[in-house]
Amino acid sequence: MTLRFLHTSDLHLGRAFGAFPEGIRNRLREARHGTIARLAAAARAGGARVVLLAGDTFDAETPAPDTLRQALRAMADEADTDWLLIPGNHDSLAATELWRRVAADGPANLRVLATPEPLDLGGSWLLPAPCTARRPGRDLTEAMDAPTPAGAPRIGLGHGAVTDFAAEGGTPGIIPPDRASRSGLDYLALGDWHGQIQVGPATWYSGTPEADSFKHVSPAGALLVGLAGPGAVAQVVPVATGRLVWQACRIDLLPDDDAVARLRAVLPAERPRDHLVRLSATGRTTLAERAALAAAIVRAAPDFGWFEADLSALSVAAMPDDLDLIDRGGALRQAAERLMAEAQDAAQPADARDTAAAALSILFALAQEDPA
Amino acid sequence: MKLRSVELVNIRRFAGQRATLDAIGDGIAVLSEPNEFGKSTFLDAIQALFFAPHRQNSDFTRSLRPHSGGAPEAAVEIELPDGRFRLHKRWLSRPTARITDPAGRMIAQDDEAEAWIDRLLGAGLAGPSGLLWVRQGTTMLDPEGTGPRERAERERGQAVRRDLLSSVAGEIEAMTGGRRMDVLRDRVEAELARLATATLKPKATGDWSRAVDEAAALARAEAELAPRAKALSAHLVRRAEVQRALARLSDPGVQAEHRDRLASAQAAFEAARAHADRVRQAEAADRLADLTEQAARQDAERLETLAHTAGRAEQAARDAAAAAAAARERADRLAEHDRAATEAEETADRAAASLRARLSDAQRAQLAQAARGQAEELGRRLDRAQALATRVAEDRARRMALAVSPRTLATAEAAQAEVLRLTALAGAQAVTVQARPSQGSQATMGGVPLGDAPLPVTEPVVIDLPGFGALRVDPGPDRTDATAAARKAAGDALARALAACGAGTLPEARDRLSEAAEIDRQVAQNEARLAEVAPAGLEALRLAAARARSEAAEPAEPAEDPAALEAPLAVAEAAAVEARAKARADHALAVEAAKDAASAAGEHLSRQRAAQEARVAAGDASELDTRMAAASAGLPALAVARAQARKVLDDLRATAPDLATAEAALARARTAAEAAQAEDRRLREELAGLNAAIGALADEGIEERLADITGQRAAAEARAARYEAEVRALVRLRSALEEARTRARDTYLAPVLAELQPLISILHPDAALHIDDQTLLPAVLTRAGQAEALDILSGGTREQIAILTRLAFARLFARTGRPVPVILDDALVHSDDDRIEAMFTALHRVARDQQVLVFTCRQRAFAALGGERLRVRVEPA
Repeated sequence: MTLRFLHTSDLHLGRAFGAFPEGIRNRLREARHGTIARLAAAARAGGARVVLLAGDTFDAETPAPDTLRQALRAMADEADTDWLLIPGNHDSLAATELWRRVAADGPANLRVLATPEPLDLGGSWLLPAPCTARRPGRDLTEAMDAPTPAGAPRIGLGHGAVTDFAAEGGTPGIIPPDRASRSGLDYLALGDWHGQIQVGPATWYSGTPEADSFKHVSPAGALLVGLAGPGAVAQVVPVATGRLVWQACRIDLLPDDDAVARLRAVLPAERPRDHLVRLSATGRTTLAERAALAAAIVRAAPDFGWFEADLSALSVAAMPDDLDLIDRGGALRQAAERLMAEAQDAAQPADARDTAAAALSILFALAQEDPA
Repeated sequence: MKLRSVELVNIRRFAGQRATLDAIGDGIAVLSEPNEFGKSTFLDAIQALFFAPHRQNSDFTRSLRPHSGGAPEAAVEIELPDGRFRLHKRWLSRPTARITDPAGRMIAQDDEAEAWIDRLLGAGLAGPSGLLWVRQGTTMLDPEGTGPRERAERERGQAVRRDLLSSVAGEIEAMTGGRRMDVLRDRVEAELARLATATLKPKATGDWSRAVDEAAALARAEAELAPRAKALSAHLVRRAEVQRALARLSDPGVQAEHRDRLASAQAAFEAARAHADRVRQAEAADRLADLTEQAARQDAERLETLAHTAGRAEQAARDAAAAAAAARERADRLAEHDRAATEAEETADRAAASLRARLSDAQRAQLAQAARGQAEELGRRLDRAQALATRVAEDRARRMALAVSPRTLATAEAAQAEVLRLTALAGAQAVTVQARPSQGSQATMGGVPLGDAPLPVTEPVVIDLPGFGALRVDPGPDRTDATAAARKAAGDALARALAACGAGTLPEARDRLSEAAEIDRQVAQNEARLAEVAPAGLEALRLAAARARSEAAEPAEPAEDPAALEAPLAVAEAAAVEARAKARADHALAVEAAKDAASAAGEHLSRQRAAQEARVAAGDASELDTRMAAASAGLPALAVARAQARKVLDDLRATAPDLATAEAALARARTAAEAAQAEDRRLREELAGLNAAIGALADEGIEERLADITGQRAAAEARAARYEAEVRALVRLRSALEEARTRARDTYLAPVLAELQPLISILHPDAALHIDDQTLLPAVLTRAGQAEALDILSGGTREQIAILTRLAFARLFARTGRPVPVILDDALVHSDDDRIEAMFTALHRVARDQQVLVFTCRQRAFAALGGERLRVRVEPA
């Protein structure tokens, strides 16, 4: 009989999102809370009764009482779903108060796997590797070598970075990428990486079910896993569960480009309210195009749940037509030319160049309000 | 640049038509046509051609389109140094721009054509080209009257003038940015004011300030929360440690180990203590055996000592008896010696005393004999001395009676000399009388005959002159009183001195002094003799004589010779001394011997008593011997018993566990158990405290709040940073605008005035025009030293100044090698005949090197302007 379960991780319930305005901040928190119901629904839809939470269910070691209680209540509400949870680095076993409260208030369908002891899932065996501390400093998944009855599928549940996963530019992790084969696992469910990614034939990071940064391109979701039996290849189906979409958009402009059209092309067209957009513009453009782009951004921004534009890397090309739009001659034209020269003067400090470019943009925008 | 032809197609009233103005020459060209002819349309079309890009779709370009629609087009032919070029533009529909060269070839199109025009008019249209156009609208004169119509017309006229002036201002603005510059600067200032204070600090109510304040408030909140979050984290870590420690303490194995250790330590301690008791008992037995043996030995030794002591005491008693007897015998012997020595001493003393008495008697007799001779000698010397003393006393009495002394005599002699001096003086001053008696006569005075020497008369005298009678001579009181008084005083002094000398005259005094000296010599002589006779004085001599007489009263003859007695006496006294010394020595020996004898007797008695006591203590000798034998016989058994006890003790000691160590081990085990219990209690208390603290902090959701606030703070700081950057940009823009305007103003004013002044002089000789630095408008006209603000001048004057200003600009352009046409569209509407003539002159002055196009509807007034007359051809397009 095929075992089906939903693999998820990194719910980070209670994450503050303090850097965001209040409106979207509340929506972000609410969306994270809503993942519990959406995960249960996804599991249910996929014929799974078990949800494996591979760590970092909570964002803090001591989540606020309402955060914790509402999460536990939401899990309890999904009575037909069993929640099997291991502590991650954010909510490690060192978070004793959290787990004490979970033990005191948690529902019957929630089980915290606080020890690396194999757990019988009805013929299949779950080998959990709970995080003992925020930085345990050792490979906790070694515990997955623990013996289980022969012939039973073995499922690893761990949290942390894989050795060559963040090798480029990051601190190497300590979970060996071949942990699944080493420990004879049919599936290794990992958490910690917020993007969904397959590390090996039977090793997956589910990613967070609700995005929380612009870092990952893949849509937020969970993995519906089916295990037909020992040695069988796991059937893994990504399931989208994200409510709010974090989209980083980048446009690279040349002076001949229609900046506003390029903007329209990269912005999400549907459900803009559910999108958080970070736009960065690079390259070169004319003053007019830049002003048009800025105006278009101002017009478009309110459509979205959150919108941030960074035009600092977008330099202004020296086009006489642009300056004509400020004035075809006279002192205004001279002032504009002076600012343009200053903005493009490599001998000037970067701050001074940026300030001059910004001043020129303001001059351009103000001049358009009162054309010659 | 010169304009040679203008062509309009489908512009305003020329809908569907082509209107051409051509054959425009150099200098002044006049298009004089009635109203509604379309002169201003030509002006607008030319302006559009030069300044409205072909793609511009603005109010202005749209205003060119006729009501019937279609695309307006315009073309001009301009003459440049390298030939005639044609500029053509079409706006709004299929807009295009084309430049055709003198050969009829299109050299630029659309944007390139626009760029060509820009270059034509100067780099980037650097000059205020629009200045050169004066728009239509100045046809009306200010009407007289106060009716509504007149007032409305007047207002329209004023508006026209304002327009004229403002158009000038506009051209100036084109150079300096003018009104747009002001607007933009105001906007920049407004934007700055919205965010920052004048000193560029965040403005209290502005977004920047709000962001800064919010960031600061959040930072404070974060600083307040961070330690609590840290404390919570620390509490959690500590609680885990406490829980692990409690788990270790509560482990049954650990607790059983504690119990076993305690029981084991207790048993070891008990065993050690029992062993220690046995050791103590063995020690006591050993000590007892030792003591018993020692006591037996001591008993034997004591018995032996008793026997020995008794024997020694008895011997000592015997020795003491012998010593006492010997001492007594010696004492007796020495006592006898003492008595003999005493007797010998007494005999010697008596012999010596007898001899001393005899010597004394002999010496006294010898002394008495010697004293009698001395008494006689002293008696003689005493008699002589007394006689000398008597003589001296007498001489001294005589000397005393003489009273004179060298000093008193000297005083008398000095007084005498003074008397003589004063007398001589009186004589010198006195009347002198010299008698020269005749033969046989003798004058006398006081009975004394007068000599033949002159006789001074110092007082009245009477001179007897025989045969004559008496002659009284009185020197007169006036001449003699002072001298007389002095002489009297000197005489008195002399008398006192002589009295002191005891003499009446000075010679007598001298005699008395001689006598006194003789007496003094005799006295001295006798006193020397007396001192020889009685060196110690008369009284001493007298006493010595009396003593001698007393001594001389002893027996007259001596019994023995004292010298013969002295030797026996010396021998006797030496014998007496020796006898006395021997007697004392013998006495001392006797006394010492007596003491020794007494002491020996005492020692004897003491020894005797000691011997008796020792014997009593020792008891009977035989019995003592029996006891001593018995005591010695028991000693070996006791020694064996003691050795056995010691061996038992040594064996026990050798196998004894260390009680202190066992006790310490027990104490340690107990302490460890107690400490474990105490640690358990303490940890449980700490755990309770930690639970409470963690519970309280966790209930606050402190980590979430901190993360929330940290994020908000970062966002607020980023926002504040953006505002700060915007303020920097606005400040930079403000300074750039200000710098550009200042630069433009500086470059603009000087050359404009230089061109303007000759033109103003044509109209107003000796007048000068001043341009306001701030408004950049002609502001003040100074005529005949009188400065007048432009706005109080008449409309005509202001209008003329405005046109002249344009002409000045035109000349400025021409001088810089960029001549552009000046186009006046119905200008000079307010100028009177004289002024308009002067204006025409000014126009002609400019027209020498400048093309001037004049559009006017005032055909008569402008007939005097001269210049070339232009015609417009209109034909279907």
